[in-house]
Amino acid sequence: MAADTTEVKYMARRPAWHTRLLRSFEASGLFSTTLLVPVLIFFIVWNIVPLLWMLGLSFYNYSMITGVPEKFIGFGNYLDIYNNFSAWNAFGRTFKWVFVTVGVETVLGVLLGLLFWGSSDLPGRRVALTMIFTPMILAPASTGTFFRLIYDPTFGVINYFVHSIFGMNIDFLGDRAWAFGAVVLVDIWMWTPFMVLITMAALGAVPRAELEAAEVDRLPWYKRFWYVILPRGKFILMLGILLRTIDSFKVMDLIYIMTKGGPGNMTETIAISLWRKAFEGFTMGWSSALAVILLLIAIAFTSVYLYVLNLRKRGEA
Amino acid sequence: MRRKGLRKTLYHIVLWLVAIAFFLPVFWIILGALKTKDQLLAIPPKWLFVPGLANFVDLFARPNITTYLINSVIISLLAVAIAIVVSFLAAYCFSRYQPKATNLIMFLLLSIRMVPSAATVVAVYLMYVAFGWKDTWPGMILFYAMFSIPFSVWILKGFIDGVSTRFDEAGLVNGGSCLHVMFKVVLPQVKPGLVAAFIFNMIFVWNEFLFNYLIGGRRTTMVPVALSTWMYAQAGVDWTFVAALTTVYMIPLILAVFFFQKYLLIGMTFGTVRGEV
Repeated sequence: MAADTTEVKYMARRPAWHTRLLRSFEASGLFSTTLLVPVLIFFIVWNIVPLLWMLGLSFYNYSMITGVPEKFIGFGNYLDIYNNFSAWNAFGRTFKWVFVTVGVETVLGVLLGLLFWGSSDLPGRRVALTMIFTPMILAPASTGTFFRLIYDPTFGVINYFVHSIFGMNIDFLGDRAWAFGAVVLVDIWMWTPFMVLITMAALGAVPRAELEAAEVDRLPWYKRFWYVILPRGKFILMLGILLRTIDSFKVMDLIYIMTKGGPGNMTETIAISLWRKAFEGFTMGWSSALAVILLLIAIAFTSVYLYVLNLRKRGEA
Repeated sequence: MRRKGLRKTLYHIVLWLVAIAFFLPVFWIILGALKTKDQLLAIPPKWLFVPGLANFVDLFARPNITTYLINSVIISLLAVAIAIVVSFLAAYCFSRYQPKATNLIMFLLLSIRMVPSAATVVAVYLMYVAFGWKDTWPGMILFYAMFSIPFSVWILKGFIDGVSTRFDEAGLVNGGSCLHVMFKVVLPQVKPGLVAAFIFNMIFVWNEFLFNYLIGGRRTTMVPVALSTWMYAQAGVDWTFVAALTTVYMIPLILAVFFFQKYLLIGMTFGTVRGEV
C-alpha cells in the first residue's frame, strides 16, 4: 500500500529539467530536422562537394601529367565528347551490356526463383541457397582474376572441354568475337542469384489465400504468374531490376580486371573508358565532363523509372 | 502416392543441381587453393589430388596480410554500422514526419548511386588529396559509409513504412518519449531490414576495389587491392595465391549469408511482407 502511494507521488512529480528539455525539443519541429542532419552532412560532404568540383573541372582543360596550367575552355570538353566517335560507341556498348545482363538475369532469376518456391522441405535447403548466393558475395576483383584462368586458352578448364569436344582452343577473352559474351556470362553468373533472391522475396508478398484460390480454380502456371503473383510481387521485382540496372550500368572492376576493355575496345563500357581517360590518360577535365554527362543520364533514367514505379503503385491502391 | 514421392525426389534433385551449377566455379577456386601450381595448371584438369595447405601457409607468410585482413574487417564493419545508424534516423524521419523534401532526397540518393564509381572517383580523389584525407582511416570509413547509405535508407524506409503508426501512438500515449518510440518500439520491428541492409552493404564494401585503390593507401589497404598488387609472380599471375586469398576472404560473408538467410529474404521485400518468406 505504502509502496503504491510513493509510486503515485513519483509519477505526479514534475519531470527533471533534462527530461523537460528533451520533451520540448521533441515537440518542436526541430526534432525531425535533427534526424536528417547526419544524412545531409554525408550527402553534402561526400556527394555535393565532389560533384560541384567535378562540374567545375569539366570546363577546364586540365591534365595531371603534362604540367600545362589548367585553362578555362568552356564547353570545349563537352563538344569534344560529342564529336568523339569512340565515346559514342562506348555508350552504345554500355546500353547493350545493361540490356543483355539485366534482361537475362531477370528472366533466369525469376524462373529459378519460381523453381525454388516450393522448396521449403528440400533437405539441406539452407546450404543449397547459400551455395546459390555465393557468386554475388565474391569480390569482383578476385572473381575476374580467377575467371581469366578458367577462360585461359591453354590452361583453362573450359578450353579443356572445348578442346575435347571441338578439337580447338578458343581465347575467350582475347578473341573479338567471344570477349563480350564471355564477360557478360560472368556477370550473369554473379548476379542471377540476386534476382533469385528478389523473386523469392516477391513470392513471399503473395497472400496464401489467393494462391489457394488459384489452386482451386486450376489456373495454368503462366496465368497464375500473370494474374496472381505479378500484381503482388511487381513492386519488389521492379525495385530489384532497378538496383540491378544501376549496378550493371556502373560495373567496372569485373570487366577491367578480365579484359581491360579489350580486345580492341570490344568490352569497353562507358565506365571503363572513363577510367582509361582519367587514370591512364590523366585528362581530368575531359573525364569530368564525361562524368557530368553520366550523372545526367543517371538522373534522367532514375526519374523516369521512379515515375513509372509510382504510377504503378498508385494504380494498385 | 508413390509417384508423388518420386516426383518430389526428382524436384529436389533438380534444385540441388541448380545450386551445384552456381557453386561450381567457386568450388573450382577452392580446389585451386588446395592444389600445387602444377596441379592447378595441369591439362587435363585434375579432379583427384592430394590436397595441401601450402598455399595458405604461403598466404599468411606474406608481410602485412593480417593487417590487410584486419583493415578489411574494421573498415567495412564500422562504415556499414555508421551508415545503418544514419540511415535509420533518416528513414524514420522520412517515414514518420514526411518533410517536404522526402521524395527529392530519396531520389537524389538513388540516382547518385547510379553514377559509375569511375565518374565520381576523379572528383573524390582530388577532394581527398586537397583536404589531406587520403589514406586516413576516417576518410576511408566515412566514404564507405556514404557508399552504403542510399541502399540502407531505401530498404529501411520500406520497413518503417510497414510498421503501423498505431505502435507509435500507443508508445506516446503511454508516456514514452519520441526517442523511446523510435528505438524501443519501431527499431525492434524492423530488425530484418537492418540485418538485410547490413549484409548487403557489407558485401559491397567488403569487396570494393576502386576507391580503396585510389583514396586509400599503405595504411588503409583492404584485401581486394592487396590481391591485385600481389597477384603477379615472376611468371605471370600467381594463380594458387589468388585462389587461396579468395577462399579465405569469402568465408565471413558465406557464414553471414548462411546464418542470416532468413533476414536476407525478408529484407529484400522492402518491408512489404510481414513474417516468413
